[in-house]
Amino acid sequence: MANNQQISINDLSFTYRHDSNAVLHHISATAPLNSIIGIIGNHHAGKTTLCRILAGIIPNMMAGDLSGDVQLGPLSPTQNWPALNQQTGFVLQDPASQLSGLADTVADEIAFDLLNHGVANTEIQHRVTEVARQLQLTGQLQRSPNSLSGGQLQRLAIATAIVTKPAILILDDPTSEMDPQGRTEFFNWLTIIEKTTILIVSNEIDDLCEIADRLWLLVDGELVNQGTPLEVINQLKPDWQIGTPQVYQLARSMNWSLGTDLFPVNVNQLRGCLHDRHST
Amino acid sequence: MTAIQLNDVSYHYPTSDFKLTIDQLTMTANLVAIVGQNGAGKSTLFKLLTGLMQPQTGNILINHHDLADLSPADRLKTIGIVFQDPSSQLFNATVEKEVAWSLSQTESDAAVIAEKVAQVLATVGLTDIKDKNPFDLSMPEKKLLSIATVLAVDPQIYLFDEPMISLDWPSQQLVTRLMQQLAREKHQVIAITHDMDWLAATFSKIAVLSDGEIKFEGAPAALFGQPELVHAVGLLPPRIMSIVSDVLGDSRVYLTPADYVAKHQTH
Repeated sequence: MANNQQISINDLSFTYRHDSNAVLHHISATAPLNSIIGIIGNHHAGKTTLCRILAGIIPNMMAGDLSGDVQLGPLSPTQNWPALNQQTGFVLQDPASQLSGLADTVADEIAFDLLNHGVANTEIQHRVTEVARQLQLTGQLQRSPNSLSGGQLQRLAIATAIVTKPAILILDDPTSEMDPQGRTEFFNWLTIIEKTTILIVSNEIDDLCEIADRLWLLVDGELVNQGTPLEVINQLKPDWQIGTPQVYQLARSMNWSLGTDLFPVNVNQLRGCLHDRHST
Repeated sequence: MTAIQLNDVSYHYPTSDFKLTIDQLTMTANLVAIVGQNGAGKSTLFKLLTGLMQPQTGNILINHHDLADLSPADRLKTIGIVFQDPSSQLFNATVEKEVAWSLSQTESDAAVIAEKVAQVLATVGLTDIKDKNPFDLSMPEKKLLSIATVLAVDPQIYLFDEPMISLDWPSQQLVTRLMQQLAREKHQVIAITHDMDWLAATFSKIAVLSDGEIKFEGAPAALFGQPELVHAVGLLPPRIMSIVSDVLGDSRVYLTPADYVAKHQTH
């Protein structure tokens, strides 16, 4: 069961203190480390709560009735939070709420965690410059965080989360305020991060199907399906009320199947599917 | 039918170089989207249309009446605003009181208020949580509540700033249906949006802003048929066009997957 190369969630249930109803019910899921896991579901599905547990915020900072266990490779948010915390980057749904509020400039805000970790000054400068370049914040480095747009704030929150080079990155709806170009660039950027396990909550089903290795689908606090995007999208039930990617809508209507009633869910699969049809 | 007309409108912020300049813009369609990239002037135009900010030159006419001359009460009955961040317009202790408060600005009969509040909460699907504190709601619920507060007043014109942001799929469907229904009921519905897929699937008329000026007015298909213009104003075509162009080498205009299917499923 325990496997150092896996994320494993085993029979996880959680009820917030002062709340009578469980938010998560007996969730069990696995995924390999260093993969991209998309967490999907509608509001009140339990996505944010699951992120908080994976990051150790529950039960270490927010209390409630937690049962079952979670293992992120060798680390556990319940048994050894400080060790996990050192290696985890977390981007909250509301990015502004996680900034220190102490920094005068974007550069200082990105450097904040590194200073706390006692990293040398030259190394800090190097990493801040590099992360700002990756997230297209170079032009904003000397500006006040208060002057940023919603999309820029989200990118700043992501920058502060990745600057410490975490092994695990947990992103709760990180693109909600970005414009379409920014969103597309962000999802493309996620695929080039190496040696990092990425758990991302998002409603952008088209983008998730392009980049995720696995999808976990939550409905009313239950994990109703998990698998590759191809499997999960093809097995959706109407009652779950989950939108489908445009590639899938198109392929289904045109009856462009990958055989055995599976329809492509991303552009590469669609290309492969049409190529095979032409060559047979 | 409502007509909004902007004549020689300009607005220049004292602290920036940005200037919005609209010589002539007439909106008569029932569903109009205003699009453009960040910094194009969408929010400035939005604020001018709400009447919360006055143009420095020119005027905005609503059915031939100057928006600046409307009393606050008349303005409420004329223009309803749904902000991008619903938290900025919610402050009452319960969902029900929030809607009732909004309606009480234009209506004094308690029985009428009670009936209308129950009706709009049912429309947006929030009846079951009418006693909750708005701050305990999820983001989609907050957004639906902010829409309910405007529905209760039933203004002639609805202004939505990025209505699809922070909504999950079922609430996106609900809000879209609601906007279409308002348009059918002869309200004018104007939305600012970044979401080209939603725009292409939902709107018949769009105005494109870039660098503070209107660069295009017309139907989505006409805009997306001009890829150079789309690129110049910093927009992306609907996703279906990228998919079909990438995979099939077909660069014609398609607004939705269903649009592609309709044009090809003849056999």
